[in-house]
Amino acid sequence: MGRLYLIQLDGRIYSCRNCRSHLAQCDELVSKSFHCRHGKAYLFNTVVNVSVGPLEDRMMTTGKHTVADIFCNSCQQVVGWKYEVAFEKSQKYKEGKFILERAKMVDGDGSDSFPISDGDDE
Amino acid sequence: MGGDSDVGQPPLKRQKLSKPSHKTPCEGSRTGVAATGSAALMARSICSNDGETVGSHGQIRKVEFVRIIEQALFSLGYQQAGAVLEEESGIRLQSPAVQQFREDILAGRWDECVATLSEIGVLEESTYKAALFLVLQQKFLESLEASNTTAALETLRSEISPLGVSTSKVHQLASFIVCFPEDLLAKAQWKGAGQESRQSLLEELQQLLPPSIMVPERRLEHLIEVALQVQREACVYHNTLDHVLSLYSDHRCSRDQIPTRTLQVVEGDSLKVKYKFTGHSKPVSFVAWSPDDTMLLTCGNEEVVKLWDISTGQCKYTYDKPNSCFTSCAWFPDGKRFVSGGGDKCIYMWDLEGHELEAWKGARMPRINDLAITTDGSHMVSICDHKNIRIYNLEEKTERVIEEEKPITSLSVSKNGRYLLVNLVSQEIHLWDISAATKDLPKKYRGHKQGRYVIRSCFGGTDYAFIVSGSEDSQVYIWHRWNGELLDVLSGHSGTVNSVSWNPVNPHMFASASDDHTIRIWGLSNRPMPKKHDEKPGSSNGFDHLVNGGTRDLLENLRPFNSDTD
Repeated sequence: MGRLYLIQLDGRIYSCRNCRSHLAQCDELVSKSFHCRHGKAYLFNTVVNVSVGPLEDRMMTTGKHTVADIFCNSCQQVVGWKYEVAFEKSQKYKEGKFILERAKMVDGDGSDSFPISDGDDE
Repeated sequence: MGGDSDVGQPPLKRQKLSKPSHKTPCEGSRTGVAATGSAALMARSICSNDGETVGSHGQIRKVEFVRIIEQALFSLGYQQAGAVLEEESGIRLQSPAVQQFREDILAGRWDECVATLSEIGVLEESTYKAALFLVLQQKFLESLEASNTTAALETLRSEISPLGVSTSKVHQLASFIVCFPEDLLAKAQWKGAGQESRQSLLEELQQLLPPSIMVPERRLEHLIEVALQVQREACVYHNTLDHVLSLYSDHRCSRDQIPTRTLQVVEGDSLKVKYKFTGHSKPVSFVAWSPDDTMLLTCGNEEVVKLWDISTGQCKYTYDKPNSCFTSCAWFPDGKRFVSGGGDKCIYMWDLEGHELEAWKGARMPRINDLAITTDGSHMVSICDHKNIRIYNLEEKTERVIEEEKPITSLSVSKNGRYLLVNLVSQEIHLWDISAATKDLPKKYRGHKQGRYVIRSCFGGTDYAFIVSGSEDSQVYIWHRWNGELLDVLSGHSGTVNSVSWNPVNPHMFASASDDHTIRIWGLSNRPMPKKHDEKPGSSNGFDHLVNGGTRDLLENLRPFNSDTD
């Protein structure tokens, strides 16, 4: 295939567990207390090296949202989703932010050298 | 160009002529001749009313029009025709006083010149003095050359200095008195007494005096050339090598001046593999031909740089650094040095023997994503930290940084070294002027698709009037550089078009490389297919240049070239 364009991040980062391409920086982390089908998930302000899939409405524990799955640019695996619209006022803060599933990420570049302390459950 | 783009009617911006007009009975008919340089007017007596205009928009004053035609006739050598025109129209190119003045200058009758100068129409004080100075200076220099020092001195004292024009020049003239006549010509930068210097004096005076008194030389030719220039610039598809445009009709290239038809589809195995370069352990992500086409630099994807000799197929040198993760390299135009940069945040300059000539490193150096050197070798452009364009002036060692808002995937510089083109992840292409002030906004081109891959774009066509880029929707996009208009979208490929490269010698051909494992050569749609061997300089250079931009994927798709690809 063509030459993939992958953005390299500096500092403490999270990478795709499958292909080690950088996904997000620790500084962009908003909350660790999210959940998905496969376990824990983190909310980030911005992520890189992902492409956004089609929008769909989903019913979540916190209400109805319009979300789009996000895929790692390099290995095409689903790594989380993006909140497009939140129907409940209290959930509006999520709009435009990204969820990355903890199971699909590794800390750092893959060295797993930073132990993660998970936050409180929602 | 200040004029409105009135087809065939270049507006004249000159002051109104103040001459005595002949009061012949007006016939009240306008000529309405289009200004296309036709030399003959209709043989009718024409009223020379000052306010009368010609042309369909009423913007051309007839008197001025006739005068410049007369001047064109005279300068073409048609003295009689010019004289007849003057007689018939009653409009003289120059007033008799000016005529006399010209003759006096060319004959060297300086005193008469001075006298006439005061008569030839209304002049501003300063212009009058400046003109007088020029005439007297010529008189002075000519007397000096004839070794008539006393007369020269007399001129200087009584005629030139009282003028009060530029005392420094007066002093300079005074210093000439003590020179030998032989040195005089060199020192004064003067051609010596004679027709040539008098002619140039006349030209200087012409520029000084207002144009209504002495019409500037070759005025009509100049106006037509300006009109042609406007047409040429307005022609969106202009892509010909002709420099001479016809005057008979407005110039407008049709769409078939741009290559839109696939001439050739080059599949992976139809290319004859000349050499297999093995040695890289990571996929080859960057390839650069040396300016003399004898050597090739290859860069692994965050790996070492290797220099190959094309004639032998051997790797001449491997450039390595601890933690080498070079991503790109660029040749200097002399073909003896190149720079490389990468994720280790250093840029190195190397020579062909493997020596490191210079290094840019340090704590503040960012990660380098792409590098290029302008064709004149004056600037080094690098993409740093995905979003910054750093233009480094190699001679002055100064730097200019342009910050983009979205990550940049690729960079290319134009052949004339003035512009650079960057592709952004946000599906825009920005054109920046290397030398302009940082505050100017770039030209932007949109329409193509990009998001995951490195898509390359380049300049193309004569005068680099086109911007062409690949796209993730398998099409090639062509924009007009100046107005940003999307001219054409070419389909044909069945995969992402990664890279395009315009033939540097043939403005009607370019190549594109795609994920569908083919390279397509595009040409004009109404030309017969060129045979591969006939167009030797065209297609072979085209292919070389193609390889520069397109082989990246050619190399990745042709397995023989590399041991592991995706």
